[in-house]
Amino acid sequence: MTLLAQSPMSLHDTYAAPVEHRFNPYSENGGTILAIAGADFSVIAGDTRQSEGYSIQTRYARKVFQLTDNAVLATNGFAADGKNFVRRLKQSLEWYQHNHHKQMGLKAIARLIQTMLYGRRFFPYYVYNILGGIEEDGSGAVYSFDPVGSYEREACRAAGAAQALVQPFLDNQIYFKNQQPEPGAEPFVPGRLPLSTVLGLVVDSFTSATERHIEVGDGIEIFIVMAKGRSPESLLDEKLGEGMTIEEVPPVGEGGEERTFLLSGPLKRD
Amino acid sequence: MTVQIQPQEEAVGFDFSNYARNQFLGQHMNGLPKATSTGTTIVGLKFGGGDSGEEEGVCLGADTRATAGDIVADKNCEKIHYLTPMIRCCGAGTAADTEFVTNLISSNLELHALSQGRPVRVVTAMTMLKQYLFRYQGHVGAHLVLGGVDSTGSHLFTIHAHGSTDKLPYVTMGSGSLAAMAVFESAYKPYLKREEAVALVARAIRAGIFNDLGSGSNVDVSIITKAGCETLRNYEMPNERGVKSRNYKFRRGTTAWVKENIRSLIVKEDVKITSGAGKEQPGIEPHPVPVGAGPGGEEGMDVDS
Amino acid sequence: MNAIIQNLSTPSHLPTTEEDELKGYGNLDEMGRIKGMQIPRVPDPTAFLNLYTDSMSSNPEAKIKLAHGTTTLAFRFKGGIIVAVDSRATAGSYIASGTVKKVIEINPYLLGTMAGGAADCQYWETYLGMRCRLYELRNKERISVAAASKILSNIVYGYKGRGLSMGTMICGWDKTGPALFYVDSEGQRLKGDLFSVGSGSTFAYGVLDQGYSYDLSDEEAQELGRRSIIAAGHRDAFSGNTCNLYHVRENGWEFIGNYDVSQQWYEYEAKKKAAREAASSEMAVEV
Repeated sequence: MTLLAQSPMSLHDTYAAPVEHRFNPYSENGGTILAIAGADFSVIAGDTRQSEGYSIQTRYARKVFQLTDNAVLATNGFAADGKNFVRRLKQSLEWYQHNHHKQMGLKAIARLIQTMLYGRRFFPYYVYNILGGIEEDGSGAVYSFDPVGSYEREACRAAGAAQALVQPFLDNQIYFKNQQPEPGAEPFVPGRLPLSTVLGLVVDSFTSATERHIEVGDGIEIFIVMAKGRSPESLLDEKLGEGMTIEEVPPVGEGGEERTFLLSGPLKRD
Repeated sequence: MTVQIQPQEEAVGFDFSNYARNQFLGQHMNGLPKATSTGTTIVGLKFGGGDSGEEEGVCLGADTRATAGDIVADKNCEKIHYLTPMIRCCGAGTAADTEFVTNLISSNLELHALSQGRPVRVVTAMTMLKQYLFRYQGHVGAHLVLGGVDSTGSHLFTIHAHGSTDKLPYVTMGSGSLAAMAVFESAYKPYLKREEAVALVARAIRAGIFNDLGSGSNVDVSIITKAGCETLRNYEMPNERGVKSRNYKFRRGTTAWVKENIRSLIVKEDVKITSGAGKEQPGIEPHPVPVGAGPGGEEGMDVDS
Repeated sequence: MNAIIQNLSTPSHLPTTEEDELKGYGNLDEMGRIKGMQIPRVPDPTAFLNLYTDSMSSNPEAKIKLAHGTTTLAFRFKGGIIVAVDSRATAGSYIASGTVKKVIEINPYLLGTMAGGAADCQYWETYLGMRCRLYELRNKERISVAAASKILSNIVYGYKGRGLSMGTMICGWDKTGPALFYVDSEGQRLKGDLFSVGSGSTFAYGVLDQGYSYDLSDEEAQELGRRSIIAAGHRDAFSGNTCNLYHVRENGWEFIGNYDVSQQWYEYEAKKKAAREAASSEMAVEV
């Protein structure tokens, strides 16, 4: 009797590994984000599912945020770090506007994100960021970051759970990788596709990722930032996908001539 | 006095050296290869009898998603396995293990039925499964829901990978078991009608499909009563893929190549029949053998002349 | 000015609250100096970092994947310095990017290369650019490559053992002529004529050593740099995609071009084949 009372656990834990407890501040919340730059627009999108392990924490969690009238940020990875990072970034941008009476340019925001991320080099934000928007010269731009702040301007980028599914698709359809050009075709310049094509590719990326990745689904939010002078007519003319809605996002500041639109719709929920 | 020399002691009991080998390989490679697991929702319940006025039976249900890690490996797999004409078994866990263990036991049950000259009972299937799984100490990763009807009535069991079993009126298993059990706990009552039972099972599976990331796609249902077994494959399809917004047809000549080499794979040979039924016989007209449709048949392949 | 003096006279306090972070930007205080970085409150911060990131390559299963894998090279010759790099970033077996700019343009006279942690190189070499500018303003002349590389070396040496990963070549032209320094996060700093850094460096050295001479012409030197990166990109799985080529001359650096590795490889192969065929037809004539 005494023997049993002394070690009641040994009956069950005969081959369990030793349990180690340590400080674990990170978790992984699934989801996928992507951004594509056009000549005079930028498209930044994300799904809205937030999960942990096999459970859905919420079917609607924002991953894409409007920062300024010409910048939108998508975050992915550990949701708590992402939320906190965006909050601090937005505060920095607000202070900049108060100090300088203008909004921070896209290029400067990208550098600010680098310094903020690198400031946590030894305790990283577990966040993959993609920044999209309009550059001061009026061109569409995408900047992608790693968790500790290395960054690069690109024509398109996917990140998150289904990155390995979506990025090869984008490489093929946007950079035309592994596709021989038609004889006598114009030389290829990345980042010059029309908006309707880009929106189609974004929607198809997410519906396909939803089919084959368990952490992607529930909803999609697509932000479209348009350079000044570009007519949104073409956007409103688009035949939207089933259940898709479109609205204009009000400007953060006094409102320049850039306009931001939010296209949102449902994804499969299984 | 004679000293008897003991012969070298032979290893008795079950051999786990392959497991040790796999562990060793796992350390020396980049991890072991990923097995497809059916991160799954499977359920079963008993219905009928009592005041329902209907024949008693069991109803089994399963989703159809198979995953490899966080990737969907199969969007429409079958998780309700055949054991005998009157017994079915839903499998969760490692896909290969559920497939093979149910196949093996199905064969053994058939042999058992043949040797005994009567249909096997559900308990027999349950015992054979649990004894097999226990021998492998959980290394055969099959988590099962077993249901069927035999001479003693309708029965429903769960069998865990380590070999333990439960006999209950309503059961769920797999990663979606909590979601499905929540439905059962709120809506199950004894003596359900057949129609109600099917609806409840489908609702439980749907709970798994939508709330558990490991489960998804469609609902499969099997209903077993004394009259027989009815399997409703893809009873519900709540997750059909919509139309893609773009068309991804590639222009001919899209793929680059380094070398071109064309070889004819069709070998033509004239065969002259020298004996047997087809042998030319003087005075007798050979009439052609009727040919059916299909590859190589009447309207089959065209052979380049 | 008053604000700065006022700020200097206020007693110093811990620079970790959010309020303080807002006064300057990012990690820079209002004087433009680097503030203390946030460090997790655990007994061993380095072990913590190593557990969650693959910065030291000892934990390939780590959650936070940082860009890795590289071939970079630089060499000195009579016409200046040739700098050539690949453009691939890998996270495990996944190619995270094929368009990485591994040459960091510190200022119009200085180039730095990137191997190891992408962020470590990018951040500290950008910061080095700031420091070099400050040196120019203070001393009314450009900083020497030796001094610039030493600033970088001293910074990363201060973080030794904390998990930084950086292997860089600082290239420039100063009073002494073309100068080339290798600096890494372990604290090593070497002056030399020829370096190659990264997982593909062994392949690059093979081509480089066989063709290197101080008296190469500009075209020959550029071709040698390009050929070496193409060879490494072809053989090393963690290097490739494209080659970026720079030439440092007396009046600053010049970007020569971006070359697709596989396309170049096929061109080299075609040239070799043509040469072989030409040789064999000559033989036939001789016979």
